[in-house]
Amino acid sequence: MIRLNDLKISYRIGSRVIDAVDGVSLTIPEGCIVGIAGESGSGKSTLMKAIYGDIQAPMYISRGSIDYGFNGSDGRPVTTANIRDEWFKTISYVPQSSMNSLNPVVRIGKQFTDFPGTDRDKKRVLDRATAFLGKLGLPPEVMTSYPHQLSGGMRQRVMIGLATFFQPGLIIADEPTTALDVVVQKEILMLLMELQEEMNNTILVVSHDMGVHFQVTHKMLIMYAGKVVEYGDTDSVFADPQHAYTKMLIDSLPTIGDDSMRGVIASTAGAGGDRAFGVGTGLVEVKPNHFVSLAKETAGVPA
Amino acid sequence: MGVLRYVAKRLGLYLAVLFIGLTITFMLPRLMPINPVDGYIGQLQSRANGTLTSEAIAEMRTNLEQLYGLNGDIFTQYVSYLKRVVLQFDFGPSFTYYPQPVSAMILNALPWTLGLLLTATFIAWVLGNMVGLVAGYFHKKRAASVLEFLGILLYPIPYYILAVTVLLLLAYIFPIFPLSPTFPVGQMTPEKIGMIFYNSLLPGITLVLAGFGWNILSMKALAVATTEEPYVTYARLKGASNWTRMTRYVFRNALLPQVTALALSLGMVFNGALLTEMIFSYPGIGLIMRTAATGGDYNVLYGAITLSIIAVATAGLVIDLIYPLLDPRIRHK
Repeated sequence: MIRLNDLKISYRIGSRVIDAVDGVSLTIPEGCIVGIAGESGSGKSTLMKAIYGDIQAPMYISRGSIDYGFNGSDGRPVTTANIRDEWFKTISYVPQSSMNSLNPVVRIGKQFTDFPGTDRDKKRVLDRATAFLGKLGLPPEVMTSYPHQLSGGMRQRVMIGLATFFQPGLIIADEPTTALDVVVQKEILMLLMELQEEMNNTILVVSHDMGVHFQVTHKMLIMYAGKVVEYGDTDSVFADPQHAYTKMLIDSLPTIGDDSMRGVIASTAGAGGDRAFGVGTGLVEVKPNHFVSLAKETAGVPA
Repeated sequence: MGVLRYVAKRLGLYLAVLFIGLTITFMLPRLMPINPVDGYIGQLQSRANGTLTSEAIAEMRTNLEQLYGLNGDIFTQYVSYLKRVVLQFDFGPSFTYYPQPVSAMILNALPWTLGLLLTATFIAWVLGNMVGLVAGYFHKKRAASVLEFLGILLYPIPYYILAVTVLLLLAYIFPIFPLSPTFPVGQMTPEKIGMIFYNSLLPGITLVLAGFGWNILSMKALAVATTEEPYVTYARLKGASNWTRMTRYVFRNALLPQVTALALSLGMVFNGALLTEMIFSYPGIGLIMRTAATGGDYNVLYGAITLSIIAVATAGLVIDLIYPLLDPRIRHK
């Protein structure tokens, strides 16, 4: 269980301070997939970085804290201070740019052994990694291949393999399927869901694709302007969105057979136009496990 | 199979480059309006105060043309030229040091030039890359900019100024090294080898200093760009140490263009030889070339130019053969 306590994360640029995440308090239960959505600049990535523990200048936690609520590989409780030692042991990461996140001049197998999390016995790691990748639907030749010899989907499978190899309790996936075509995207998402069911760990998935969120996640977290506007069980959020921004995000999903958008200029139709939504700090539980930001919505009122 | 085909293709290309280079060196002087034989005979005539008879001149002309392969039409000349150069590495005798054959002169000087310049170029490359890598990898740290400053300081100094300054400093003001070094020839004894090594240090240092700056700046720029690559960020998030990331991620990838630069600069050593060997009176190809250029010694120039062509083409071949070992993306094409 991860608890964010009134978390505020800022960037210091010269003498200016920008609050990218502003007062987020919520609890992420164990063993579920949480989807995070929100427009660019809403603070999703900053929040993910903070949870992953990748906090380095100019970014810093200006208020609040993160309670991880699980122990590291050495038995100590994980905190923001020691989480770096847990990278790719009890917490791991699937990057956005799978196409070039693998070292182009090193074989895949070697990329399973070149970080501190791995066992000293390279041979044993390689054997286990080969077997593990086999389970993810990758032939053993992948281990001796170079990244450029693999397709985009295979590379993303390797990335997921690297992230799940150590059975971490928490995986952060930053837009894991953005660069893939829809068929491969579905395969990768199914794989991620299968692995999650098997390991019963927590996965945080950042995506712009509301369709992905609907299919994959158990819980949804909608962010806007550095704040959480809505957080709840995915079914409930999609069935009955409370906040105007959430409604807009869900409505922006194109549906097959609906051609009402044809010939309409995007901004006049309201898809991603410059709107301002009222967001307050603090969440109120409107239904069981379904929270919405405190301030009453001033939806659709142009800034 | 793929490997054999790759090597065969590169070798074919290499031979083609050599052939074209040799053809151009053959053609260029023949397109010039002056004739070296006429020039030579004119020189002799004026030295003899015009006493040479026309028969003597005609005989001398045939002899000279015979000697320098200038008889027959241009095609016959071309074929005999290729035959001599390719099969026997024979460029005829030197004008200035007649009858010493050019090939012998070149072969004597070659180990000197190669020994000094290849070593110096290689050391400059290794040091420059190491300093550049650290400067580039830690480019956000204040201390790393000191390393870069070293490159910025050294790179723009023209080589002759650098060389003369070093000579002045280390041989004249602080006489650590001899001002006009001697390089013993003949049978090598341990003492002689030590002396050669000691006397080569000064030209070696200037060459390393001259090549060092460029390598720092180039490697630094490459390393900075590579540090921003997603695979380096991902390695950091995997928890890989600074050392692993710097060596296995940044260095391995930033090295690729630097290998090309190394091979090219190794191919160009004869250009660098000219100034170094003049300033430090070092008995290599550069010194021979300079004497030949001032004395109009065509055959020696021919030989030296041919050697340069072979060196550059060989360096190209070596890059082509080494590159696939470093970059799997080329290996598997």
